[in-house]
Amino acid sequence: MEANPHSTEALILLLTQHQDQLFRYVYSLLANEADARDAMQETSLALFRKFDQYDAKRPFLPWAYRFAYLQVQKHREKNARSPLLFSEDVMDLIAHERSHIEPLLDERLRLLDACLGRLTPKDKELITSRYALRQSAEEMMQRFALSRRTLFRNLEMLRQRLHECVTLQLKAEGLA
Amino acid sequence: MNLQSLIYAKLDGEITPEQHQQLEALLREDWQARRLYLELADQHARLLQQPQIATGRLQDKSPAVTPSLRWKRFIPPAAIAASIALAFVIWPNETPDTEATSSGVAMLSQTMDAEFALSTLRSGDTLTPGTLKLTHGLAQIEFFSGATALIEGAAEIEIISAWEARCVSGRLRVHVPPAAKGFLMHAPGMKLEDLGTEFALNVKDSRSAVHVFEGEVIAHTDQAPASLTEGMTLGTTASDFLRINELQGLIKQRQEQRFNQWHSWSQEMRKDPRLIAYYTFKHWPDDRWDRMINNFAEPLQKQRHGGAVGAQWTQGRWPEKEALEFKRPGDRVRMNLDGTYAALTLACWVKVDSVDKKYNSLLLTDGYDNGEPHWQIHEDGSLMFSIKYRPADVPKGGKHNQMYFSQPVFTSDSLGRWHHLAVTYDNQSGEVIQYFDGQEVSREISGLHQPGRDIFFGPCEIGNWGLPTEGHQFPIRNLNGAIDEFAIYSAVLSTEEVKALVKAGQVE
Repeated sequence: MEANPHSTEALILLLTQHQDQLFRYVYSLLANEADARDAMQETSLALFRKFDQYDAKRPFLPWAYRFAYLQVQKHREKNARSPLLFSEDVMDLIAHERSHIEPLLDERLRLLDACLGRLTPKDKELITSRYALRQSAEEMMQRFALSRRTLFRNLEMLRQRLHECVTLQLKAEGLA
Repeated sequence: MNLQSLIYAKLDGEITPEQHQQLEALLREDWQARRLYLELADQHARLLQQPQIATGRLQDKSPAVTPSLRWKRFIPPAAIAASIALAFVIWPNETPDTEATSSGVAMLSQTMDAEFALSTLRSGDTLTPGTLKLTHGLAQIEFFSGATALIEGAAEIEIISAWEARCVSGRLRVHVPPAAKGFLMHAPGMKLEDLGTEFALNVKDSRSAVHVFEGEVIAHTDQAPASLTEGMTLGTTASDFLRINELQGLIKQRQEQRFNQWHSWSQEMRKDPRLIAYYTFKHWPDDRWDRMINNFAEPLQKQRHGGAVGAQWTQGRWPEKEALEFKRPGDRVRMNLDGTYAALTLACWVKVDSVDKKYNSLLLTDGYDNGEPHWQIHEDGSLMFSIKYRPADVPKGGKHNQMYFSQPVFTSDSLGRWHHLAVTYDNQSGEVIQYFDGQEVSREISGLHQPGRDIFFGPCEIGNWGLPTEGHQFPIRNLNGAIDEFAIYSAVLSTEEVKALVKAGQVE
């Protein structure tokens, strides 16, 4: 199997290896989890169909991003009337910017793990509830006895602390 | 609403159409706004993908299989096309509890004379779900939930997840901090739900006994659930429960013993006349401003003392021993080693946390002039020794350094542990031999070698590169890790001598 760089197995390995990065790429353009998962699914099918054209000597991700971008555009056209999707020009700008700072974004994620470890138990509970347990706003409002406004305000401040923690670490490493 | 709040509202799906227009306008006109958006969206997407990183909590009760393995083993080819499409639906969507990058749920934190059936585990190893048979000795397991279990061999423990384990036989003692409240320990005839406590469990001939030392445990048996509190015992087997203090004492005693053995050996080896310098990274804690890295080689040559810059003190191979930790781009030890030499051996104990630069310094001379050795770890985890000789008639810029690479030795398995590294070079034969934990990992003579050319050190650094040559592409070369012993000899040590260095200094 390894001898054939275009085998299905080769694609599966590439996809699993890069699925986190692909997801983050798609997510940055759609900013909606369900939409991003749909687009990911379509993207992987498209990659499967066109995999014989993939040049194994070149990096996989840039090639895969092109398909992902097309799928995102298709998704946008299908839901053109939604006021909550980015316009095409904004999407373009975001994708362009992202390609410039991708290494830095990867660095940030590496540091994010350490910053998460430093959260207070209360903050950890909030993160677990929101991300690991996927609780809805209503469930969380009940669980933490908070109004909707306060809940999202708390989530915003918590994630902002994470973002600042990562930025500080980057500076400490001389990367920012 | 400011930009930041607009972005969060967008990510949370709480944004109104008007706010969305506002956000789009900001993103359109300002690249810094786009950057902030991308950073926050990426952070959010990562949390959605791998929430367990957030809390260290792995809720999956079944052994997590990495997806590539899962597919390789279980999906017939005909179904592959479908499963590629499904992949992102089945995993990790709707199952955020599947650990994607590692199936580890616990780690072996300490051992003492431990022997395992079926496997050779060392302290520091990550444990995946499965059965652990300790035939002899003591082992301490730290579950990723925060619960800790000390086990005495012979024992058989099944690790189910970070939150659940089963004792099939043996004596163990479990400590559950508040963060790991709810940790489940199964034993024949009972299931113990820990509410933040410390308890001991003995299992022999399929009969269990439990004793609570502190806090509360809910025992589920075929009777109604019973609450056990401090001092209470339940069960029928003998009640000589494992005493943690004695065992911790034994481990400590063993470490002290190892440190003392090394220390007395070190007092003798420093008299070796072949030593150019010998640093043991001894720190006098009373003197908080002390940045001197003493050269302990005898007779004393004070001019070869080093000076620590940035690098902080940390624990070395044993609790009694200090080490210097190199983390930030500025961290280093500066030295000036006078003299001209015909051979060398460099040997050190190092704990590498990560090989994250293209070149990761062990010992480098400032700049890179004729006769100067450079010793570093290459980005692929191999050891790299080089020495430069550029003939006077050859212009600058060409490749004139003799370079020697070992096979890769730093892999995820060897990172984060103490290892002994050594390299020898003889300017007559030109042969370079590199060692990893006393094992030869490369032996080579460079094609550029010419016999009899002198070796110089001069101003040099441990853990970093003092003066990168101008315009060099990779000027940041600081080591990411700690060093707690460094010896520099003016001769080639034999393989036996290198092995002796390893034996005298090994951790356990």
